[in-house]
Order: sequence, then C-alpha cells, then structure tokens
Amino acid sequence: MNINATLLGQTLAFVIFVAICWKYVWPPIIAIMEEREKRIADGLEAAKKADDSLEEAQLAFDQEMNKAKAEAAEILEKANSRASQIVNDATEKAEVEAEKILSSASKTIENDVNKAKEELRQKMSELIIDTSEKILGDEISPEKHQELLKKAASEL
Amino acid sequence: MASASGEQTSAEYIQHHLTNLVCGKTPDGWTCDHYAVDQMGFWAFHVDSLGWSIFLGLVFVGLFRLGIPKLSTEAPSGIQNFVEMCIEFVNENVQSIFTSAKNNLIGPMALTVLVWVFLMNLMDLVPVDYLPTLAGKVAEATGMVENSKDAYFKVVPTTDPNITLGMALAVFVLIIFYSIKIKGLKGFLAELTLHPFGKWMMPVNLVLEGVNLIAKPISLGLRLFGNLYAGEMIFILIALMLTFSSISIGLLGVGLHLVWALFHILILALQAFIFMVLTIVYLAMAHETEDH
Repeated sequence: MNINATLLGQTLAFVIFVAICWKYVWPPIIAIMEEREKRIADGLEAAKKADDSLEEAQLAFDQEMNKAKAEAAEILEKANSRASQIVNDATEKAEVEAEKILSSASKTIENDVNKAKEELRQKMSELIIDTSEKILGDEISPEKHQELLKKAASEL
Repeated sequence: MASASGEQTSAEYIQHHLTNLVCGKTPDGWTCDHYAVDQMGFWAFHVDSLGWSIFLGLVFVGLFRLGIPKLSTEAPSGIQNFVEMCIEFVNENVQSIFTSAKNNLIGPMALTVLVWVFLMNLMDLVPVDYLPTLAGKVAEATGMVENSKDAYFKVVPTTDPNITLGMALAVFVLIIFYSIKIKGLKGFLAELTLHPFGKWMMPVNLVLEGVNLIAKPISLGLRLFGNLYAGEMIFILIALMLTFSSISIGLLGVGLHLVWALFHILILALQAFIFMVLTIVYLAMAHETEDH
C-alpha cells in the first residue's frame, strides 16, 4: 500500500464528478420531482374541492327535492279538498234540485187531482140533475137548475 | 490460475493480483515499466485504479444524466424511475441529518459518493481473473510487455487506498472549508482549542480535537479500503483453490465463490452507504454553529 499521486488524481476526479452532478445531474431531476409533487398536491386539493362542491350540490338538491315534495303534497291536498268540495256542492245542488222537482211534481199531481175531482164533481152533479130532471119532469127552471147544481156541487 | 508462461506459485498469484499498473516519474523520465516502480517517487499513478474510477464515474453521469433522454413529469419510466428513487433516498438521508443548515452541494455530493462508490465496489463481483487476464493478453499482443505475467491490472478501485483516501481528502477539505465559512476562522480555531477543557488547557485541547479532526478522513478512507481489500483478498484466495489440480477442491471453490459473492453484495452496498452517510454527517458537523 503505497500512497502516491493517484490520491491527488482521485481527489481531482471526485471534485469534477461532484461538480458535474451538482450542476447537471441533480437540479433537473429534483426540479421534475418537485414539480410532480406540486402537481399531485394541486390535484388532491382540486379533488377535495370537487368533493366539497359535490356535497354542497347534493345538499342543495336534497333541499330542493324536499321543497318540491312538500309543494306536491300541498297541491295534492288542495286538489283533494277541492274535489271533495265540488262533489259536496254537486250533491247539495242535486238534492235541492231533486226536492224542487219532487215538490213541483207533487204540486202538479195535486192540481191534477183537484182538477179531476172538480171535473168529476161537475159531471156528477150534472148527471144527478139530469137524472132528477128526468124523474121530476120540467119543473125545475133553468135558474133553479143552476142553483141546485151549485148547491149539489158544494155539498159533494 | 497458471499464467501462460511457466509455473506461478500461490504467493506470486496473489501478489500479481494485488499489484497495480503504475505509471510514474523515474529519474529517466515517465514510464509504465513495472520493473521501474521502485525508482518512482510520489509522482506515480495507479493507472488501473484511476482509469476504472473515472470510467465508473462516467458511467454514473451517463446513467443519471444521459440515460434519460427526456425527463417526464407525468409518466417517468425506466431509468428515470431508478434515478428518482436514488435521489429521493439520498435526499431523505441528507435532510434527516442536515436539520437546520442548508447547503445544496451536499445532496449532489452524497449522490455521487453513493453511486460512484457502489459502482467501484461492484467491480469486486467480476471474477478476479477475467479482466487482469484479458489485460495481460492485450498488453502482450500489442507488445507493451513481453510476457503477460508482467502486465498488472487491478480492477477494483476501492481496494486501492489512494482512491478511498483521495475521496476522503476531498471531504476533509470540504469539512475545513465549511467549518471556516460557517463559523469563521476564529470560530473554527475556537472549536479546536477551547474545549473539552477550557482555555487554560489549549494545547491539550488542540491535540485532542486535532486527532478528532484528522481521524475523520483517515477512518472514512481506510474503512472503505479495508472492507473492500479484505473482500477482494478472499475472492483471490477462493480463486486460488481453482488452480489446484483437484476437482473436489475446485468445486468447493466454486461453491464458496458463490456464497461469498452473494454475501459480498451486502457489503458492497453497505460500505457505499456508510461512506455516503459519514460524508453527510461530517459535513453536517462542520455546519453546526452552536457551542457545546
């Protein structure tokens, strides 16, 4: 093991290689790695942001959805009550109408009955007068006749 | 393995594997002749260690810079994934140790140390005879040596203390540089002289803290060297079993080589990691400003 100028040669080579590495090897790769690190960090942050906004959107969506549901329910309820009201109204009206028709019908029937009764009475008294005229002869004057007729009609 | 010409003893075989290809300055001028090594002084270079070291450094740069034709932020693929994984790993280590101080040199340096040292260690897994034998043949064929036995070629740079201590020296210089830069010359000297015993024991403090300071690069370099040298040594000894003309010993050698190589993968990665962590820790200590 003899020490000689090889040592100085190696020292020089060492200095040169370290300098080359310092100037040309290390910086570009470190720069690339740092840039990538930054990109990854940025990407993660962006992803987080996107996540947050997604959550926000989901929340807003849920809110809107609930509101819409409530509105729909309200509308449905309103419609239901309106429908039942309409039905009630219609029923009421129909009942009133029916009663009206019924009462007018019964009135008509009563009138008819009364008319028929009147007519019947008229006919009957005429018949009776005719018959009794035939039996009694012409003793009854037309005045008397009219009088009798009236009396009989009122008595019947 | 017996070399092409003549018999080689076990000691020669081991010695051959542990000798570097040296080019240096002799009184007659620069030469790569192995027989002139004794005349070389300090100004000699282990061409093989240094060559592999630089080649692997280029592999590192090539893989981490040129290996990725187009950097992609969104869909990294293949090599970019691997590179990013390495950088993230290193960055995590640096940030866990450098809690308060900031220094954008530490990350790249730690990355370079980790990958480069790992690659250099990884050469240990190439079977010990392949590359030296190839180099010997090439040298013989091109006429650089007359006998391939004279061609020495050590492949694993981190088994050369010059390499490991060379890197440790650079770290040491940085430790001193940042100590002075952050704490000022006064602060640095105060750190060296004023504790543990207070200002009346300055010389003692200086010796203690000086040893502490010097021990950092030495232990850093020698730890890596020692681990890898020992691992390489065991590979050589196992390879030596294959030179015996006994099939059973040869088979045992193959089995042992496999086991040791698998285990060594752990050591290679661990030592590269330790070298990196200690580099970071030492520099983090140089950045600490608070007094103890």
